[in-house]
Amino acid sequence: MLRLLPWLAAAWLMAIGIYGMVTSRHYVHLIGCLSVVQSGTYVLLLAIGFVWHAGPPIFYDHPPGTPAVDPVMQALVLTDVVVGAAVSALLLALALQLHKRRNTLDPEELEPLP
Amino acid sequence: MKYGLALRYALCILALIVLAPAAVLVALHMPAFGEQLPAYGTTVNAHVPYMRQATNVVTAIIFDVRGVDTLGEEFIFVAAITGLAVLLRGGRGEDASRKPIHVDGRWLPTRSEAVALLIRWMLPATVAFSIYVMAHGQLTPGGGFQAGAMLASALLLLFLGDGYRSWRQVTPPVVMQALEALGAAGCVCVGLLPLALGAGFLENVLPQGQSKSLTGGGLIPLFNVAVGMAITGGFANALVEFLEETREPEEEGQR
Amino acid sequence: MKFAVAGCLILVMISGALVAFTRRPARQVLMISVHGLFLSMLFLMLQAPDVAYSEIAVGTALVPVMFLTVLAAIRGGGRRNLPR
Repeated sequence: MLRLLPWLAAAWLMAIGIYGMVTSRHYVHLIGCLSVVQSGTYVLLLAIGFVWHAGPPIFYDHPPGTPAVDPVMQALVLTDVVVGAAVSALLLALALQLHKRRNTLDPEELEPLP
Repeated sequence: MKYGLALRYALCILALIVLAPAAVLVALHMPAFGEQLPAYGTTVNAHVPYMRQATNVVTAIIFDVRGVDTLGEEFIFVAAITGLAVLLRGGRGEDASRKPIHVDGRWLPTRSEAVALLIRWMLPATVAFSIYVMAHGQLTPGGGFQAGAMLASALLLLFLGDGYRSWRQVTPPVVMQALEALGAAGCVCVGLLPLALGAGFLENVLPQGQSKSLTGGGLIPLFNVAVGMAITGGFANALVEFLEETREPEEEGQR
Repeated sequence: MKFAVAGCLILVMISGALVAFTRRPARQVLMISVHGLFLSMLFLMLQAPDVAYSEIAVGTALVPVMFLTVLAAIRGGGRRNLPR
């Protein structure tokens, strides 16, 4: 079971985030569900690089021969976390301007695709 | 439920039910969790600490081995913050007052003294800790990205503890924009420096120093500080733009 | 050790589902913050301290505050736009 759980957890997070986005009634709620989808990709990337009974890839206390997890995956996820927050901020600014123009944030009332 | 919303629910649930067996099949074919030694990762772990005198291999990868990726991510961040500033243009500086927006029936609690005292203790500690994390990027877990986010949330603590007026006095928008621009330009200049010395872009040509010292790693500490400045300035800019939107506009046409 | 990783994965799955199912935006902000906290615990269990640093600072403090300021700027946190 544990050999499948991280992949299923990543798929679950992406699926539940997309479900929340499709059936959302408020655009700010939609941006929150987008952050859940992004967190699914972080879990997937870090689970790929994981090795049992290995330490973090920091060799300050022990020499560089000790078993350690994959550092390349952590490098990918680290920049992704901070930049994802900036993209969420941009989407929130878009939602704010939309509310100022149309006075509502309900996709049903705004009808982007009639 | 209206017709459109019911159709969306039905289509979404149908799509997820159809895709669920595909997800389980992919999960069955993925390599076993934690059993497979990563090939590239173990090579990097074995060689980079000796080549770059940096004990934090993740920071060495971000700022040295895959430095061009970090440059790209840095500019994605700058572009997102620029887009945000363009979208929320107007209502800044002297046009917006210091009072929060008045909403009928909403009670604005006064600032509690316990919160103000706690934040006056926590704020210098947070700033000092984030500078420590930035400086020790190549030694222990840390680096420019983490320290920039921590410093931006330390500025936010100032807003929570002492109110909007004193927060605006400490973070003038011009200084924050200059910080972000200098950080982004610093990243590019750190990349151009090896070109002036005859090597490739972002190649680590400065003297490597000793392992476990603050100046180890050559180009890594410089790149670290540039990225930290840019991230701090960017998040502080975003917070200034957002918090200005919550202030009462002075004229009626200023929306 | 295996129980810790499995437990953190299950907590992350539950909090992710709760983020999507909390419809009021003002309440969803708190769930986003809790989801960020569980994510950083999972990252720590997966031996990634750098990523846990980033996720705590960003996902627990900065992103929820941005959400809250936008909700305050649209006056009332979506009280007029509740579903059903």
